[in-house]
Amino acid sequence: MHIPDGFIPIPQGIVYWVIALVFIALALRWAKNEMTDEKIPLIAVLAAAIFALQSFNIPVSMGTSGHLVGGALAAIVLGSPFAAVFILTLVLIVQGVLFGDGGITVMGANIINMGVIGGFGGFYGFKGLMAATKNISISAFIAAWLACLVPALAAAVELSLAGSFPFEVGMIAMGAYHAAIGIIEGLVTVIAINLILRVRPDMVDFSRPAASGVVS
Amino acid sequence: MDNKHFMVAGVIIALVIGVVAVFFASSDPDGLESTALIVQGDKTLTGATPPDVEVDTGLHETIVYDSPFPDYSIGGSLGTYGGLVAIVFGTFLAFVAVYAIAKVIAGARTPNQ
Repeated sequence: MHIPDGFIPIPQGIVYWVIALVFIALALRWAKNEMTDEKIPLIAVLAAAIFALQSFNIPVSMGTSGHLVGGALAAIVLGSPFAAVFILTLVLIVQGVLFGDGGITVMGANIINMGVIGGFGGFYGFKGLMAATKNISISAFIAAWLACLVPALAAAVELSLAGSFPFEVGMIAMGAYHAAIGIIEGLVTVIAINLILRVRPDMVDFSRPAASGVVS
Repeated sequence: MDNKHFMVAGVIIALVIGVVAVFFASSDPDGLESTALIVQGDKTLTGATPPDVEVDTGLHETIVYDSPFPDYSIGGSLGTYGGLVAIVFGTFLAFVAVYAIAKVIAGARTPNQ
């Protein structure tokens, strides 16, 4: 769901950049307070994995394909929506600047959608679902599915405000495609969380006994 | 598994995913591109995507930025191998950039703790 340059007028792109910068500043403050040597390996590996997974488009029928976004995954395992903002911002910079995937003037909007909305939706969705179901995989799957669908709907709203997509067509099409793509988001997120839990449970935020987390 | 092995294993898994993606990723448009194709009248909601349609990105005046490796390829006649180099480079870069920035931030706070 990387919005390209030319889909949003520059003045609106600047507004999204300003909002994104506020969250980037908060993500840097999170990193300053929370970044420990123990967390660095997981953060760096997640960045590499999210970059690679975002290049893997899988068909979802309807003549469309999609890939993991990764906001929910980053926020859930690192225990903060700002972890998603931190990682997704850097991944989006690499993608936009080097590979032309996602525009430069619209990068603020992409950071808001995938990093901020994806991260917050994924994190609090997981937290709420864990309280209700006590099941890590079910909670992660649904939270990740939402963290794909909701940012896509946000993009549809932004593109409607930009005059690029009619509101109704944009909401229906973006919603339908990302409801399907969200299944990939959910499955990959569940597999990745279980994989990390198997090899390094101490690295996963909610599995640490000391965490203020969602399990206890 | 210690931190070093975790990072090596993690980067290898990421590289394998990226390399497999170069060969097997779907060339169908993503959700946003498909929606754009509907809006410009080249696709229906549930129909297949015609092979020769392209998304028109010139909807608004913008700054044209030419990335060095557009569409995850290094261009020229290298084709798939160019794609491989681009993905491997990008995966390493994402890892190194985040590792370095995280290390600097973690290092900056240590003396105060």
